[in-house]
Amino acid sequence: MMEMKRTRRYKQVIFTKFFFVAILFFCAFTATSQTSSLTVISNQKGAPSTLNFSQLKSIFMGEQQRWRSGTKITIALMKTNTPAGKNTSETIYGMSADELNKFWLALVFQGKTSAPNFFNSASELENFVAQNPGAIGIVDQVAANDDIKTVQVEGKKL
Amino acid sequence: MISKKTTAIFLLLFLFTIFFSFSSSAQNTQIKGFADVLTSYQNGKASFGFDEQDLFITSELTDRISFLGESVFKYTPSSPTEFSVSIERLIIKYNFQGNNNLILGKIHSPINYWNNTYHHGRVFYPTIERPLLFAAEIIPLHTTGISLQGHDFGKLRFGYDVVVGNGLGSAAVADNDKRKSVTVAAHIKPIDELYLGVSWYNDAVSKGATVMDKVIGWKVNQNLFTGSIAYFGKKFELLTEGTLGIDKTDTTGSKNTLAAYLYTGYKVTEKLIPYIRLDDLQYQNGEIYFTKDNTTSVIAGLRYQINYLAVVKLEFQHQHAELEGNTNSITAQFAVGF
Repeated sequence: MMEMKRTRRYKQVIFTKFFFVAILFFCAFTATSQTSSLTVISNQKGAPSTLNFSQLKSIFMGEQQRWRSGTKITIALMKTNTPAGKNTSETIYGMSADELNKFWLALVFQGKTSAPNFFNSASELENFVAQNPGAIGIVDQVAANDDIKTVQVEGKKL
Repeated sequence: MISKKTTAIFLLLFLFTIFFSFSSSAQNTQIKGFADVLTSYQNGKASFGFDEQDLFITSELTDRISFLGESVFKYTPSSPTEFSVSIERLIIKYNFQGNNNLILGKIHSPINYWNNTYHHGRVFYPTIERPLLFAAEIIPLHTTGISLQGHDFGKLRFGYDVVVGNGLGSAAVADNDKRKSVTVAAHIKPIDELYLGVSWYNDAVSKGATVMDKVIGWKVNQNLFTGSIAYFGKKFELLTEGTLGIDKTDTTGSKNTLAAYLYTGYKVTEKLIPYIRLDDLQYQNGEIYFTKDNTTSVIAGLRYQINYLAVVKLEFQHQHAELEGNTNSITAQFAVGF
């Protein structure tokens, strides 16, 4: 009888410990997800309000030069040495930061497209997008600005 | 009457206006460059040297017009200073609709993947030097003329080039004959890592034209058919291209030349890539336009990508040529972008 109680007690302790570890993992994961979330923003003129992921990737790979309205697409990215820039490289391009820089250098050298505009801070990128019709960019934090809109990807934020 | 002082002030203001308008328009102008240094060991002798220094400028002039210029400073034994400057590309591009562009100027002929992708940027080359078909001048590297270019249409990301140019034997500023060269190229990119392309080049080289540093004694009709496969994945790299050249003269009839290479590499890590390249040049007996020199080559190398602007390569090459026999060499290269 005593042996059974001891075993039950031992199982409870193990379960409690496992539960706390699981909670900790969950919180850590949630925190990571929150810090790594990205938002696609665009100038009010040019980009549609919704894109699917393949359209988004195609635009950011320089495969589409103009919006349907005819406005030239201008790409704005965070520098690849910033956390948001690294996150963009991996999430959108499936590349490392170095691979992304090489990709763009090669594309510009081939004369296929214009180089993206790279920024150190989200506010600089946001201001650029706000001031340039046809501009589209990716940031990890957005401040309220009437001249830009958030582009939903697959019907939600990226 | 306007005094000299007023005139000077107006002139000064005018110059300031010009200066600041230039400064603001220059915001979209970028200058980049490539260079490399080499050391090689062949026939019991070690040598140090360097290849070209390449500068390229891109500039957005308007919403639809852009400029790209590429100039190369290179060793030229015949020059009094031992160096010369050449304009490798001078492109004015007009984006007339969607992904369709009209291109005027001197371009790299869009005949094969290597020529159209790497140009003179050795930091991009997967091997130290270009495949042998370039050194043998099987394909015309440049074309001065007019072209239509489009890219990334549909799910297969179809792209095309149609070029009409001065052709072989022409100077950079004028054609040497009435006949124009025509290049038609098409490619698809079914997935990000894969490129499949084909091209056709046609030209007639006039009798007396100077091509490849020799005077051509017969009129030559040339057709070049090229196929390209390029795959650059996360781990595996493959690039293979082949060109069939058919040169026809009244006296010799049609003679075929087959030039091909195969490059493959494997990324042991993101930065370290061992690779091999095989080259093969085969000329038909009686070929009189190209210098007949059947050649095979094997290269084994190691590439270390320090970052996207710096790469170190080490290669061993064994080559067997009809005219020079067997040669073995070891070469190391440090290529940079700046």
